[in-house]
Amino acid sequence: MSQVELRSLWKIYPRGNVVGVKELSFTIQNEEFLAILGPSGGGKSSTLRMLAGLEDITRGELAFDGKVVNHLGPAERNVALAFESYALYQRLSVYENIAFPLRARGMRRAEVEKKVRWIAELLDLNPLLKKYPGSLAGGQQQRVSLARAFVRRPNLTLLDEPISHMDQRLRAEIRARIRHLHEEMHNTTVYVTHDQAEAVSLCDRVVILHKAQLQQIGTVDEIWNRPANQFVASFVGEPAMNFLPARLRDRASVTLPQVDHGAVLSFQGELEPSSAAEVTLGIRPQEIKVLRSAEVANTLPCAVRLLEFQGESTVLTLTMDGPAKDSVKVAVPAGEPYAVGERLWLKMRPESIHLFQGDRPVLRRRLLS
Amino acid sequence: MAEVKLEGVTKLYGRKKAVDGVSVTCREGEFLSIFGPTGAGKSTILKMIAGIEEISAGTIRFNGEVVNDLPPQARNVSMAFESYNLYPHMNVYDNVAFPLRAPRWGLKLDRAEERRRVTEIADFLGIGELLERLPQHLSGGQKQRVSLARALVRRPEVYLLDEPIAHLDARLKFSTQSLLKEFASQYGSTIIYVTHDYREALALSHRIVVLRRGAIEQEGTPLEVFHTPKSDFVGRLIGEPPMNLIDGEAGSREGEAWFQVGDRFGLAIRGPLAEGMRACTRTEGGRSVARLGIRPENVRVSRTQPGPTAFQLPVYALVQEAQSTVITFELPETFFYVRTQQEIGSANYRVGEPLWVDLDPAKIFFFPKTVPLASKA
Repeated sequence: MSQVELRSLWKIYPRGNVVGVKELSFTIQNEEFLAILGPSGGGKSSTLRMLAGLEDITRGELAFDGKVVNHLGPAERNVALAFESYALYQRLSVYENIAFPLRARGMRRAEVEKKVRWIAELLDLNPLLKKYPGSLAGGQQQRVSLARAFVRRPNLTLLDEPISHMDQRLRAEIRARIRHLHEEMHNTTVYVTHDQAEAVSLCDRVVILHKAQLQQIGTVDEIWNRPANQFVASFVGEPAMNFLPARLRDRASVTLPQVDHGAVLSFQGELEPSSAAEVTLGIRPQEIKVLRSAEVANTLPCAVRLLEFQGESTVLTLTMDGPAKDSVKVAVPAGEPYAVGERLWLKMRPESIHLFQGDRPVLRRRLLS
Repeated sequence: MAEVKLEGVTKLYGRKKAVDGVSVTCREGEFLSIFGPTGAGKSTILKMIAGIEEISAGTIRFNGEVVNDLPPQARNVSMAFESYNLYPHMNVYDNVAFPLRAPRWGLKLDRAEERRRVTEIADFLGIGELLERLPQHLSGGQKQRVSLARALVRRPEVYLLDEPIAHLDARLKFSTQSLLKEFASQYGSTIIYVTHDYREALALSHRIVVLRRGAIEQEGTPLEVFHTPKSDFVGRLIGEPPMNLIDGEAGSREGEAWFQVGDRFGLAIRGPLAEGMRACTRTEGGRSVARLGIRPENVRVSRTQPGPTAFQLPVYALVQEAQSTVITFELPETFFYVRTQQEIGSANYRVGEPLWVDLDPAKIFFFPKTVPLASKA
């Protein structure tokens, strides 16, 4: 396992001069489980392929434990890969598929057998070892693919959307298995995904890429509570963060000119001294309380426009009182019945409020840990 | 708007029954979802309603009138398919405007009115910027929204939507789902909607038909399907992680009904639940066996023993989500999931650590065994 350092990496595709990745710098710590998250076309795949050695690096340096590896191929970098598409050898049995990377490194037969049995036990593959990939279900194939990636301790393990197309039952299972494997082995692992829920739930730290550029790198707590910009704030969390135009009233409160004739909300955290009066207030749907009657502080009147039942919770779309009829989404526990048209009051706790100016946050909020 | 009534609708492919005697009514203005796993026959039903797939047996009525023998163009329906089916040589505008120009609806809109309608639906679905582009220059998610816009631009008797948002990425899926709900409530249209995603089915529908191997397994409101699943099959289709299913031996101990799972743990089953367990008990190899179901949200875990019915299991994995943590335990045949409400940074359990697990008795279900467990398959 290695510490992996990206130093001002660029990927420029000569055809059409398309920039895949722009001056990307961050470090993957030894034994860390890191997610690379972003919408499609954001630069995730280019980054993954450069890490794996499947793609040339146009400019910049990639170093494993301080040693530059730009010119090394995938095998010399000692990188293990598992893809969404499994990429298993159809003519080899499950056993031979898992053994493949070990044999390729010239490991002795007895040692290979020991290793394969060990990972097969861990991933419940023992009954399948003699079968061929073609006869396996999708979830089983993905477990073989994971076994092949985790059977040895490479410098870096890369997982590319390994569960995004599975049904929810398999997703829950493979998630648990991947997390379990990481606790067992502490491989340095990079998990590439477009699904923010996946990244947040599996990984210790998250890198967010958008428009070929690094948006933020941080723990889930940092990404969630201190998003580096409005893109990150809106990309992480579901339903997405609500945004409302606001005006600073003083160092601890804003007014919402478009809501209820200028409602006043107080907030907590350190306000940037230079911030202008016009800001955007952000608040997550999970962090708004819904009341059936008005309270004095930090409540806003609204009416229910849509109800989306999700099982354990319900997502309400609410229209705020006021000229702009702004809409806000709130996630509430499903037990409470609400009706379309019903009048409600939203309570926004001061510590839940984010403030942005343009794209940038201007309120430094408290972290949870 | 129409009422759509299916009576004993069956589809045979050779000797295989793809759809098996489905009877259901979609009322006028209703949003009805046909929900089930891949291969259950959902799309086949929709195609028979549209008229692009022949009906082997049974009848389909629109407002009481049998339409079995009407060709698709004689049924006033709009469709969106999972495979976008866009005209590759037409730009987005012309693709969306196409149904408005079809002579058989006799709409004869003038240019300005046509543009108004196309722009309205395109803006609504967030593809207003793409009107001049050709399909080949669109991403999968954009194509799918164009296909949906084309289906929604006209006001037919019935909308038939087959996984219309399945290929959108997570973020867009959620917002487009809200838009669809908004559309449905605004126009009060009759919509029949095919999906394998339980979130869409629960969020959008007035009623849900759960399909299993071509036949109806359960029919009910989203609340009914969620809170009173008729079988282990329905229970396990909903939730992420889905409902836990555990097989055990149904018996009694010290005068109380008792459910024993291997030598791992057992629990006393009290009150009306004991009756439920008995009703679901079957004899299997000389043993009385029942299947317990409980959702991950209805289990509590703790370091200290919370009560007499709790039992201990070692933690297999911890998956921390934004507002909760999923704790996974390993049972002989399956994984057992528990979701605890915990914010980021507050979880401190460790893998391998034994925890006390306590099931909320009010949220326990018993089912006859109808699906193979093998979730560790």
